[in-house]
Amino acid sequence: MDFDPIPYNLQYATGSWLRLVGVLAAFAVALGALGSIMSAGSTGRIFSNGLLGYLKDIVTISPRRVFAIMKLTLKEAWRRKALLVFVVFAMLLMFAGWFITDQNDRAELQLNVHITFMLTTISWLILPVVMFLSCWGLPEDIRIRSLHTVVTKPVRRIEVVLGRMLGFVSMSSVILLVMGVAGYIWITRQAPESLADSSDSDRRSFLTCRVPVYGNLYFLNRLGLPSNAGINVGDPWLHRSFVEGNSRSRAVWVFPQVTEDTLLPDKDGNVLHLESRFEAFRTVKGSSESMSEGLEAQFTLVSDAREDAFSSFGVGPGFREIGEALRAGEFQSAAELLDTAAQRMRDTPDDFPAADCEQVTISCIRQVVPVLDYLGEDLADVAQAFGEFGEASAAVVLAGDDRDSKMPGMADACSRLATAVREGGPIMMELMPSLEVPLEPFRVAEYHNGEEENLKKYPRTLTYAANYEGTARFLTSTFRELEKEGKLFAGDQPADDLLTILEDDYNVSPINAELVLDVLSDQLEDGTVVVNSDKATFKQDDGNWLGLFTRLVREEKLISQDPAGWVLEADLFDDLARNGLLRVEVSCLDDQMYLGMARPDLFIRLPDRPFWVGYGKALLNIGLMLGLVVVLGVTASCVVKGPVSFFFTLAVFVIGQAFHPMMMRIIEGNEAGNGMVESAIMIFQHRNPNSGIDAKSSTQAMVERVDNAAGTMLSGASSIIPDFSIFSQASTYIGNGFDVPWSTSILPALMTFIGFFVPCVLIGAACLKFRELEAK
Amino acid sequence: MSEQENVIEIRNLSKVYRDFWGRKKVQAVKSLSLDVRKGEVFGLLGPNGSGKTTTIKMLLGLLFPTSGEISILGKKASDVAKNERIGYLPEESYLYRFLNADETLDFYGRLFNLSNEDRVRRADELIKMVGLNNARRRQLKEYSKGMTRRIGLAQALINDPELVLLDEPTSGLDPIGTREMKDLILNLKEQGKTVVLCSHQLADVQDVSDRIAVLFQGELKLMGDVDQLLELREETEIRTGNLSDAAIAEVEEVLKKHGMSSSDIKKPRVDLEELFLRTVRESGERPGRRFTAEEMAATQTKGDSEETTEDPAS
Ligand SMILES: Nc1ncnc2c1ncn2[C@@H]1O[C@H](COP(=O)(O)OP(=O)(O)OP(=O)(O)O)[C@@H](O)[C@H]1O
Ligand SMILES: [Mg+2]
Repeated sequence: MDFDPIPYNLQYATGSWLRLVGVLAAFAVALGALGSIMSAGSTGRIFSNGLLGYLKDIVTISPRRVFAIMKLTLKEAWRRKALLVFVVFAMLLMFAGWFITDQNDRAELQLNVHITFMLTTISWLILPVVMFLSCWGLPEDIRIRSLHTVVTKPVRRIEVVLGRMLGFVSMSSVILLVMGVAGYIWITRQAPESLADSSDSDRRSFLTCRVPVYGNLYFLNRLGLPSNAGINVGDPWLHRSFVEGNSRSRAVWVFPQVTEDTLLPDKDGNVLHLESRFEAFRTVKGSSESMSEGLEAQFTLVSDAREDAFSSFGVGPGFREIGEALRAGEFQSAAELLDTAAQRMRDTPDDFPAADCEQVTISCIRQVVPVLDYLGEDLADVAQAFGEFGEASAAVVLAGDDRDSKMPGMADACSRLATAVREGGPIMMELMPSLEVPLEPFRVAEYHNGEEENLKKYPRTLTYAANYEGTARFLTSTFRELEKEGKLFAGDQPADDLLTILEDDYNVSPINAELVLDVLSDQLEDGTVVVNSDKATFKQDDGNWLGLFTRLVREEKLISQDPAGWVLEADLFDDLARNGLLRVEVSCLDDQMYLGMARPDLFIRLPDRPFWVGYGKALLNIGLMLGLVVVLGVTASCVVKGPVSFFFTLAVFVIGQAFHPMMMRIIEGNEAGNGMVESAIMIFQHRNPNSGIDAKSSTQAMVERVDNAAGTMLSGASSIIPDFSIFSQASTYIGNGFDVPWSTSILPALMTFIGFFVPCVLIGAACLKFRELEAK
Repeated sequence: MSEQENVIEIRNLSKVYRDFWGRKKVQAVKSLSLDVRKGEVFGLLGPNGSGKTTTIKMLLGLLFPTSGEISILGKKASDVAKNERIGYLPEESYLYRFLNADETLDFYGRLFNLSNEDRVRRADELIKMVGLNNARRRQLKEYSKGMTRRIGLAQALINDPELVLLDEPTSGLDPIGTREMKDLILNLKEQGKTVVLCSHQLADVQDVSDRIAVLFQGELKLMGDVDQLLELREETEIRTGNLSDAAIAEVEEVLKKHGMSSSDIKKPRVDLEELFLRTVRESGERPGRRFTAEEMAATQTKGDSEETTEDPAS
């Protein structure tokens, strides 16, 4: 499945819609004024009267009259036996089961075929009926002049258009509903029949709608630096990006709004469902285990304030080391590096090219300062220093060729930043923890075409083997607690029962507890820690418990004696998703192997919805599509006769369904290839897309101009022709066992419908009002 | 200009039908001016293709005038609100053939936003009035021409209109239907409504109209009170009980004494048909003129001696 659900930007869409409709309206008014002045030759009074009358019509619409015409339309369709389409449908249903079932396919694929078949059949059966009726309704009404009798009643022409549209829409809705219910029964009965070999409980679980929560995806490259895409393994059409095995390369998902409601009830309490389907790519054959069971992958849940703040600081090579130090929490060495950098800015400013400065500006202003501000008052000084540094480097970027004059300013800011980081280091360390919770590795088999789906369940409290920082922070918080309660020291020695307390109350394994005690005694002997009336004081460099343990861990004095490591517990919400954002990093553990993933490949699964919910939403989308066809057909039929409007509507539908996405790609410059004329000449000259055409530069310029004009026309056309492919997305979701999401599927479909409905009603009403109802 | 209120005022109205390319096809109405007064029955006459239907359609806003002004019930022709008070019976009944009589009236009643009871009551009255009570549940496609006409009339009256425009109301009706239609028109007049009708059944027009206008090739040729137009100023009508020959001889004697040579006792008045034929013929002979009642009377003797079967529309 290769869709990437991008939430619909309602505000942007509404804005561009308003702009477009405004332009069209202004254009129509101008055209009307011109036309009426040319034909009547008058001073434009006819025009202004006409416009006023038209606006008055809109304001005085009577729902009852619209409803009457709508009812008439329905009755007409009914009495003219438009609903014979049901018969065809019933026939198809009776026999389709024989042909579309392939026992060899996996069960969920079979189900996909059934659901897709059903929804496609429904829409393709109703579509021609609706298109035909809506295109012929009004012209026929005009031809046999029954409309004369109607419009000599106090009926506004806009009411006729509205009534017709709503009538056909409700007719298609009725047909859709009946067929939909029949289809639902057919799927739920027929599908399990074709899944005969799967067990009963399995069948049930296939007919559900999974509700995914998608996150945002970015990658960390081999150096651990953020980038938008991973590695491309060579297939240009592949939508997945790859992370390299056994390296710092990772895929990072950040999921929004992870709260306790996100958990699903399970046998042993609530659990988090993480579902994934990754693709494996091998450069070597690998071990026999990896051959048979797939590549080893691992999730790591991360809460990392330093990463949040500094991940992009070192993107420019000039600041790479500083960025690394900041991320690692080595603030003292970061300060030293900043000092050196300040010196180099004065001595050899060319070491810091504009690109680096720009990167660091963006990082400071967009990332560092907001995160530090969020973390609280205590970091205000550091935040300010970062802000000033960002501004100073921005000044360098903006100075252009004159940058050398601004370089000293940046160097000064850098020195000040070094001081701030040095002094603020301990507080930053305190407030900016990095917690990594590696989860149990699992295998990704590639023999299912990358479609193998893994559902993993994780409880709220996670047990994990801590890294250095985790160990240091755990011991810090433990010791601080004990110190506060007065259980830590007895005189100037560790308390006698400290060992048992660590083992019993803090779940430290006996062997590690002993280690901690030994190390503590050593520190007391050395005098690095001095006890003063049950409170510890520290040597200047360490400062506090955190400083002490961080140093001890780095000096590898606290390496776990227990082979299981420092096994700790982390809480999903208190420790990890503290502000509702859950960060999941995916890595591949096998050397020289690659794991491919795209944004929708990993999601948190919310409680499933019943199948009929998603199915109903898919029907709603089909209904909106049919509605749009009606709207277009009726509007066209206000102007031209039945056959013409039929072909017009058909053409718009086909273009909108098959070519709209391509049009958008061409306009956005995402389609490989050159301009239209240019490409044509290339084909003629047998040249490849990279070489350009073989012509004089003046000719080339002209070709380019023509192509640009064509591009402008295309973008105009693309905003007027509706994107019908939006409406079929829902079927893809439900076919693949997903619920149909509101923001990426239903909302755009709804807005597309409304976006065309409103102007079409206005256009249709105007056409009907300003034409004589004589059959010509 | 008149002491009475005008329901319709038409000034210099012209209509040119054009083809798709905007080329002139035919001028259906030529600078027509006429008024219809409140409460009268106005007959619009003219041979086939003289522009009667076109005029009515322009009054209703179905067609747009090429030039000229229309005021109908004090409003512009393009104003839909005027339709609240108008009933229109088209030339042919353009109705929805898949509806039955009840549904038809219900549908048009809804277009007037009539309340449910009003709709049911009016529909019932009208169906009974036009004599379709037995066929009210049959679809209109099964109706005969006259039945369609009747239901067409019923829908025109569904809103109890002040102004009724009837385009050839009696076409397709049987003699009883024609009689009923005339009664109905007089009835409407009695209720104070204004009726404009076009018809070729001149005898019917004569019976019900207060005033008439004759159109010929889009031009107004004659307009006035029916009584005035049909009065023969050169003659006096004497009507008595049956006279003996001797009595007749005596009356002739008296007439001779007053200088009257002979008297024609056959036709005391022209009927409308004759006036109509004369107007049409005169229009053909002396184009571009409008005639007065006196002129028409003067042509009478000449008209009698001439052949009048020539089709005026051809
Ligand atoms: N839709 C049209 N397109 C072109 N010409 C038309 C159209 N309708 C009417 N005409 C022409 O306009 C003229 C007037 O037609 P109109 O229907 O008004 O006549 P009428 O007086 O109602 O005739 P009748 O007594 O036959 O109903 C005729 O010459 C006719 O051919
Ligand atoms: Mg006519």
